[in-house]
Amino acid sequence: MTKAIKKGGRKGLPRRRFLQGAGAIAGAAAAAPVVLKYHGAIAQDKPPELIVRAWGGVWVESLEKGVSNAFSEATGIAVRHDLTEDNEIRPKIWAAVDQGRVPPIHINWDTTTNASKSALRGVTEDLGDLNGLNELLPLAKPSGLDGWPLVNTYSYVYVLAFRDEAFPDGAPDSWQVMIDPKYKGRVAIYDDGIGFHPAAQIAGGGKFSDIPDNMEACWAFFRKLKANAPLLGEDPDFTTWFQNGEIDVACTIISNARAAKQNGIAVSWTVPKEGAKLDTDGMWIPKGLPENELHWAKRYIETALSAEGQQTWCNGLGLPPVRPGLEPPADLVGDPAYPTSAEDLKRLLRVPTPILVEHESDWFAKVNEIMQG
Amino acid sequence: MTPRQTNLAAPGLLEAWRRRIWPARAGAFTPYLLLAPALLLVASLLVALVGMGETSLHLLDRSTFRLGEAYALGNYQALVERPVYLRIIAKTMLAAFVVTLVTVALAIPYAYLMVRTGRPRLRKLLLISLFLPFFLGQVIRAYGWLIVLGKQGLLNAGLDLLGLPGVALIYTFPGVLIGLVQYMLPFAVLLLAPAFTAISEELELASMGLGGRPWATFRHVVLPLAKPGWVAAGVVVFTLTLTDFAMPEIMGGGANDFIANAIYDGFFQISDAGLGAALAIVLSLLGTLVVAVIFTLIGVGTLGYVQPKRPAAAEGATA
Repeated sequence: MTKAIKKGGRKGLPRRRFLQGAGAIAGAAAAAPVVLKYHGAIAQDKPPELIVRAWGGVWVESLEKGVSNAFSEATGIAVRHDLTEDNEIRPKIWAAVDQGRVPPIHINWDTTTNASKSALRGVTEDLGDLNGLNELLPLAKPSGLDGWPLVNTYSYVYVLAFRDEAFPDGAPDSWQVMIDPKYKGRVAIYDDGIGFHPAAQIAGGGKFSDIPDNMEACWAFFRKLKANAPLLGEDPDFTTWFQNGEIDVACTIISNARAAKQNGIAVSWTVPKEGAKLDTDGMWIPKGLPENELHWAKRYIETALSAEGQQTWCNGLGLPPVRPGLEPPADLVGDPAYPTSAEDLKRLLRVPTPILVEHESDWFAKVNEIMQG
Repeated sequence: MTPRQTNLAAPGLLEAWRRRIWPARAGAFTPYLLLAPALLLVASLLVALVGMGETSLHLLDRSTFRLGEAYALGNYQALVERPVYLRIIAKTMLAAFVVTLVTVALAIPYAYLMVRTGRPRLRKLLLISLFLPFFLGQVIRAYGWLIVLGKQGLLNAGLDLLGLPGVALIYTFPGVLIGLVQYMLPFAVLLLAPAFTAISEELELASMGLGGRPWATFRHVVLPLAKPGWVAAGVVVFTLTLTDFAMPEIMGGGANDFIANAIYDGFFQISDAGLGAALAIVLSLLGTLVVAVIFTLIGVGTLGYVQPKRPAAAEGATA
């Protein structure tokens, strides 16, 4: 005899339980046509493909292997990767949304700073209804913005990458190596200086806490760097330069250095004593997509945030995911450029996103001013 | 009706239709009608330029990353106040002048030899050498220069073999100029070749027959008569260099930007369409101004503002 029969004093269901159950069944029956119609329409109206903007090289390879292939297998929807530069796709999306046109892509894989600019402009869909957001690390939530106009997907470090042959005594321990005349013409940074500003601020004798109000130390360091004739480029350039033996040291994202190493180039990396910049990338969906495409675009991002997706995608990139409890790649265990503990994070320099959104353009202009001189 | 009769009747029918649709009195408008597509194209460009001008008068609001509603000159003020933009404008102008001078100077003997040589094989070789780069495009050529001029490139490998020290040309301003001259040379030669072809060889023979040495003949007869050609070549090379993007982008190594690169950065890198538009307007004005000065000072024929006076006899004959 069940506990319920005992409590009700008669055989069968107690009245309250019966009413609850009946109410639930009635509610479900009433809602069923709507739910079935909605999901039915979506299921029948699957788009033939989703377009995901991505960076090339190891970046898109990892995304395809870890996320896109799994999504296509599960849904039958093909995924096309659009390798248009993030800076170039942004105005196209902004124009499409402003003009009420369907945007050119479904999902934008973007830097958090750039994604935040799009969010401030009001062209991003709310992702607050994605499944599993509460299971992610706090880093996944965008800062300085209301709700979830984007979701951060992993973090990364701008490391000091170096050619092994040029440093037979081991890794350089300071960013000062970038201005060492011994390496004149053989150092490289990103063409807008991205990722190097906080490190330059400290290496130039300034304080991290002075960012953004007083960055004279940073600019002084950039001026010294200019005198050392740096090469200025984008992600793929670093690999090429290392491959051709054209540079000895560079400030680049760990993924690029690791990809070069995995391709047989004798390159290593380190987090110098001044620290290295920690940043995040994320994904967002532009407004203006048809309802069914928006639905499946959200499912794609859920796949990217799933344990399996994060494990394969982020391990391919060598970056710490926003989903906790995943295994780091074997070659990066204990690497300070792959932060997993509070101790690791202490060595890294994280500029709050709202500051980057407000000031980064000015910093790019300043670096440009110094480098064009 | 025989087939021949049909053929004869058809033109008459067509003519009747033509007269109905486009009567003889409308004939005066025919040239304008033919001009209309080209004029429409130019007009649409002007509309775009006006739109660009309007955009340049709005400042970026970083709380929304949209341009503000109010009209302001802040973007132009920024171009004046930030030394980097003045430096980029000066560097672009310098490059345009140097590339124009060097390219035209190299193109003149090339085009002259190509037109005047009596050896068909040499002419073919010169023509092939001229057209081959066209099939490659600017970006591929720029990457080709990276291979040749790179630190580990062919040039330095050759110098190394000879025991000479390497040269650092890649990612430098001279490196960009070398790439641009090579890119512009075919344009200049193609504009010069018709000018040399139009000069009668008899004039050169007459000059030499009167005691003129080849160099004197070239300088005092050929070059003045080819003036429309080298002015056109100079204008085209100058404007193409002034607005070039790919060569400084690829061969400049990020430290040798031209105005077009700064415009790109304004629109795409820092999302400030107002600033990018202001730079675009400045570039358009600079190009227009320089070309107007060239046309005024040395333009001749269709490229000149002042048409040469016809001889009185010829005027009388025409009248």
